[in-house]
Amino acid sequence: MKKNESFWQKLLSLDEISYENPLDEQLIDAETDQPDSVLRQQSPVEYAFAEILQEEKQEELYIAERLEANSLHAWVGRQSKKWAKPVYSLLCALFCVALVVFLMSTVIELPPFGAADNPTNNEVAQRYLEKGLEETGAVNMVAGMILDYRAFDTFGESTVLFVAACSVLLLLKLGDHKDGEVSPAMLEAEWDDRHHEPKNDAILQMAARVLVPVILLFGMYIVLAGHLGPGGGFSGGAVMGAGLILYLNAFGFRKTGRFFTYKTFRWVTFVALMTYALLKSYSFFCGANHLESGISLGTPGAILSSGLILPLNICVGLIVMCIMYAFYTLFRKGGM
Amino acid sequence: MGEWIVFGISALLLITGLFLMLSAVVGQYRFKYVLNRMHAASMGDSMGLGLVLLSLCLASGDGWLIAKYLLVVLFVWLTSPTAGHLIARLEIATDSRYQDEMEMIEK
Amino acid sequence: MNVFVIMILGFLVVCAVATAFTKSLLASVVIYMAYSVLMCIIWMLLQSPDLAVTEAAVGAGVTSVLFFITLKKIHAIRGDEEEDHHEEK
Repeated sequence: MKKNESFWQKLLSLDEISYENPLDEQLIDAETDQPDSVLRQQSPVEYAFAEILQEEKQEELYIAERLEANSLHAWVGRQSKKWAKPVYSLLCALFCVALVVFLMSTVIELPPFGAADNPTNNEVAQRYLEKGLEETGAVNMVAGMILDYRAFDTFGESTVLFVAACSVLLLLKLGDHKDGEVSPAMLEAEWDDRHHEPKNDAILQMAARVLVPVILLFGMYIVLAGHLGPGGGFSGGAVMGAGLILYLNAFGFRKTGRFFTYKTFRWVTFVALMTYALLKSYSFFCGANHLESGISLGTPGAILSSGLILPLNICVGLIVMCIMYAFYTLFRKGGM
Repeated sequence: MGEWIVFGISALLLITGLFLMLSAVVGQYRFKYVLNRMHAASMGDSMGLGLVLLSLCLASGDGWLIAKYLLVVLFVWLTSPTAGHLIARLEIATDSRYQDEMEMIEK
Repeated sequence: MNVFVIMILGFLVVCAVATAFTKSLLASVVIYMAYSVLMCIIWMLLQSPDLAVTEAAVGAGVTSVLFFITLKKIHAIRGDEEEDHHEEK
């Protein structure tokens, strides 16, 4: 609590941002867990109108920037040759037509959809369909394929997601604040984030209270039943991440910060990726050396069946959920 | 005879729901202001979709299917008004000239 | 191929072209969401429910939310609204 107080005091005393408007101070009070009766007395329209007044200064800046950009554009236009623009348009149109003709001619050459003698119906697909249930134990053949026969590809996919999250972290993550120390960049991001954002919206909160548990439950169902029916780690993780994003939008960073911080993100993704890698490397080692892996496939159709597919699905689901949520928070204000 | 009555009622509900959806689409293009358009769109969403799914419930006598349709109706009735409320809020917050289009009752 | 599939495919092409040619970035993202939903229906018709679930969750849900938040971050939503208003008057 103390940490936050100093944080908001710093936010108030920052020079670049003027907080003469008393409305905004009340808003900040509402943010810092004080009774928000003040906020409820104002209609959202008044609150929005006050924000607009505060924005007029920024509007002037914005218009000046655009004028500058327009003059720059005009300068670039003067520098170029007069015949350049029609030639450019003509080349664009020609390129598009050529691309469409090329792709359409390829489509004509394709074999008919679903024919029996298509080149896709070779011995690989036949073996997957005939022996798949016996060898992987998964009723859903797609799960058996991507998490058993082709598990290495799925591991690469998860790693690609992880690398993408790492690069987004490198680009957008702002510095941590320790003992209430906040960098100006974080304050600016915080202010930018609160700008035009519905805070303490009763309708959204009520809807989120009903929807978020259902969405999270549905996501867990998709992950856990990935080997029995349509679904799997990736889609279930995306659904759960969307549920978390809805929760964040309704209740704000203070509520989500209680159970999902940067530390949680790091540890969950690390543990899930390592579990995936260790389980699959054990399975690859046993398979390559013709050893018995000791993992029973169980009866097909039961929840606890099909060997490693269920834990791998859970790992992929956790990674995807954390990364979707992390993307959202990083895009929004550069931290969690 | 009973089957025909059920069929007639469900067809009537379906046509009414589709008409409401069509009027929502027409309203999207005929109205000029955002909040008017939103009124038309959300009416088509909640009422039209509700009537269509009610008629589908009547047409299919299957218990599980009816439960699924009712869940869809519940989900849409929860999400669509919330989304409309948020869009209205965005419009009020970003458009400084909204008072040209409507009358505000001051408290 | 029945009428329904052809209709959905036509809508898909319309959505794809409209996404590229819409001036307002916000409207473009919304049309992209519609494209994702249509794509989801097509995956269902091609009998691959796994892909349909993924497309609905990722394409229509999370990706568009990320686009929206990026538009808000670069203040694109605001500028577009202003321009639209001036054009109407």
